[in-house]
Amino acid sequence: MSIVVSGGRRGLTDPKIAAVILAAIPDQPLETQRKMNYFVTPRGKRVNEYETLCCYTQPTPDWIPGGLDWGDWTQKFHGGRPSWSNESTEMHSTDWHRHRDPAFRWHALYVKDKAEEWRYTDRFLKAYSADGHVRSIDPVWRDEVLGDYLGAFGFSEYGLFNSHSSATRDCLGDTLRMSIAMIGLDKVDNAQMIQMERTFLAKLVPGFDESTAAPKKEWTQGSIYKGARETVEEIWQGTYDWNEILFSGHMIYDPLFGQFVRREFFLRLSAYYGDNLTPFFINQMQLYHSQTKGITKDMFHTCLAVDENFGDYNVSLMNMWSDKWLPRTVNALKDFMGIFAKIPSIAGVTDKAAIEAALGRVFEDWKRDYADPIGYKVDTAALIKTVLSGLK
Amino acid sequence: MAISSATKAATDALEVNRAPVSVGAQEVHKWLQSFTWDFDKNRTKYSTKYHMANDTKEQFKLIAKEYARMESVKDERQFGSLQDVLTRVDAANRVHPKWNESMKVISNFLEVGEYNAIAATGMLWDSATAPEQKNGYLGQVLDEIRHTNQCGYINYYFAKQGQDAAGHNDARRTRAIGPLWKGMKRVFSDGFISGDAVECSINLQLVGEACFTNPLIVAVTEWASANGDEMTPTVFLSIETDELRHMANGYQTVVSIANDEAASKYLNTDLNNAFWTQQKYFTPVLGMMFEYGSHFKVEPWVKTWNRWVYEDWGGIWIGRLGKYGVESPASLRDAKKDAYWAHHDLFMIAYALWPTGFFRLTLPTAEEAEWYEANYPGWYDMYGKVYEEWRARGCEDPNSGFLPLQWFIENNHPIYIDRVSQVPFCPSYSKGASTLRVLELNGKKHSFSDQWGERMWLSEPERYECQNIFEQYEGRELSEVIAEGHGVRSDGFTLIAQPHTSKDGRLWTLDDIKKIGCVFADPLKSL
Repeated sequence: MSIVVSGGRRGLTDPKIAAVILAAIPDQPLETQRKMNYFVTPRGKRVNEYETLCCYTQPTPDWIPGGLDWGDWTQKFHGGRPSWSNESTEMHSTDWHRHRDPAFRWHALYVKDKAEEWRYTDRFLKAYSADGHVRSIDPVWRDEVLGDYLGAFGFSEYGLFNSHSSATRDCLGDTLRMSIAMIGLDKVDNAQMIQMERTFLAKLVPGFDESTAAPKKEWTQGSIYKGARETVEEIWQGTYDWNEILFSGHMIYDPLFGQFVRREFFLRLSAYYGDNLTPFFINQMQLYHSQTKGITKDMFHTCLAVDENFGDYNVSLMNMWSDKWLPRTVNALKDFMGIFAKIPSIAGVTDKAAIEAALGRVFEDWKRDYADPIGYKVDTAALIKTVLSGLK
Repeated sequence: MAISSATKAATDALEVNRAPVSVGAQEVHKWLQSFTWDFDKNRTKYSTKYHMANDTKEQFKLIAKEYARMESVKDERQFGSLQDVLTRVDAANRVHPKWNESMKVISNFLEVGEYNAIAATGMLWDSATAPEQKNGYLGQVLDEIRHTNQCGYINYYFAKQGQDAAGHNDARRTRAIGPLWKGMKRVFSDGFISGDAVECSINLQLVGEACFTNPLIVAVTEWASANGDEMTPTVFLSIETDELRHMANGYQTVVSIANDEAASKYLNTDLNNAFWTQQKYFTPVLGMMFEYGSHFKVEPWVKTWNRWVYEDWGGIWIGRLGKYGVESPASLRDAKKDAYWAHHDLFMIAYALWPTGFFRLTLPTAEEAEWYEANYPGWYDMYGKVYEEWRARGCEDPNSGFLPLQWFIENNHPIYIDRVSQVPFCPSYSKGASTLRVLELNGKKHSFSDQWGERMWLSEPERYECQNIFEQYEGRELSEVIAEGHGVRSDGFTLIAQPHTSKDGRLWTLDDIKKIGCVFADPLKSL
């Protein structure tokens, strides 16, 4: 038959074409090794689908540890800087391909989760509004705290989101790159959810201002987020080392400042002010925080801190970075203490003892999960005392 | 409004209207542009000679959750098809063997482009100042992860279910051995991520995606389907649904710099360089994969190229950007010449170097030769006769001791590598436009095959210092190189690459290659 196929005829369904194809196919498969990426060192017992689809997509040469390619880059930056290079970070690794998302999420699994969260958000908002829950929110909490200060916190999340751009560009491994982009998207999702809540409130509460003007003014000019803003700016654009960006943002700033603001301020207090809307959104953010924590702890603790050749050096560097970023974060929390003077006080909830207890939870969590694994010595009581000095 | 009255108003309103209310994606997105703020250090880490405007908008206004919903729906359709009906009909074993081999290359090489585009759009996300423009690039970052996984899924699927898993199962390790890899890295890797950020956008979005993804991702599905492959259309057409947004990103990149004085000075030069960079590899390689990697033919590559590249992109797409001062690249005319013959030249070299591949290649059959001659008059005299000679000398048979590479050596037709594109060429046996140019810098010789690449190198030689395979392998025996690059099957001695796809033909082993005693030499050293 003719080898020219026209009119959209398909080899799978056209009997004449199919007969030619089937006649050409070997009687037995030519290869018995059917597992793609069989040469990958799996995190578990065997190579899983995530490792099959993600590992070694990075085409780095072998002079970047873990690379399978050889030679130089075929085109470099103006002036000759390489496409990717070991100099992009002070961290060292024996193999930059070791990181794994603990949940083994490749793209399809990641978007499936978020798509479900979106659908459920839509259903929740409809039920919430139909139920009239908004009537129970304390007006000061709603208009000032949610309107201005939650809105301003959205800028912290948006700034952190942007800190992932250069890390997505510069990092040296494939699973790293995918994880970094995904945890970056979660951060902009947080910022968007904050605006979503404010827009939702504006639909329900006549006069509620959904504009970002007041929150932005609070973020850029106010005193409550001053330390946070300066830290976020430094993480986003003042830092070039992609590992330091991730470490400062996800191992210091967010587990301390982000956790206090989200979990111990908005999530803990909202119920006391009749607000059962904010927890819906904050809990999604906390889910993302938990997933991100798994990812970044894998990067820094599971991979870099115990690297057989560079572990000790990497741990030293993490300690140095902690020295650099912890004071800024403590200062950000100290500034944030000013917010307690802006809200109606509730005994046992917003007084100093309650705040100290909340800070204790955050700092002790951080010490256990982030500082101790790298042997970082920290006096949490002293740090909490410094933060509390910001109370008005 | 005072707080108390607002509360009262809310209560009153709720008494009248308790209709369920939600928030749409667009209601959130409309505030996105105000999410950023000015501060001293707020500048990109990736310098560009252009200024990207602060108020640039994006065309596809997505928020994170809506993006996920949209992609998840597409994933359900795509993976549902693959895992259900296509598996039940044993579709991977109903693909013509030649096409099975082509997909080892096409899917893996596209994966490299998609993967590098993650980094490229990460760089653009950093470079843009407008939040909407950042958001457009961000969506593309996630898309490119999707596409990387999708391309991997094709190889994964073929490896698991198809007729010859070798090459599908380890392409990420074995691809670096052969002559097609470095050129692929130039267009699909470094061309996207190393340079002025806007220049990289032009490479990726304005040329790579707006021009070459049409033949690469759309036209390929017709060839796949004709040759029995329904997996590739299922995945690639799903990829293509995202590409539209990427083309829009490229368009918005140009819009964002349109009023910048630098655009009038540099944009058309950058576009011309980007077009030549991309076409120098894609024009021959895509033509070769389609025509020589298939049994059933859809249409001559030159027609496909003319429709998608010359008319659709060079005419319509670039025409739309004309109001921003964008002109069709000056190199488009030379590219048109390449579209006719370059893929025939490249196949000849690729076949001569077949042991370094991670796929099986096949010489044209008699009926294919007729098709080539009918569509490319003069084909037989240049190529067909040589293939007959190679076949007569037993190039497909391991017992023959003959590699087509020997024919080039015997007939004094040295093969060079173009330093800038890394594409191999044989100036003394070529119908394409390639001509040999050799330049020397600091005692090192560099070969070029065209004026456009030569100009790029002359302007910035420090950007193009990469060794080519002849320099890398010089003095090494061929079977050693293959073994070191893992180019063997799971039995440890049969080559992944083969010079035929015949079900009755014998398969070559490392020993068969070793017996020939082929040692790499750098042709530039004999000049």
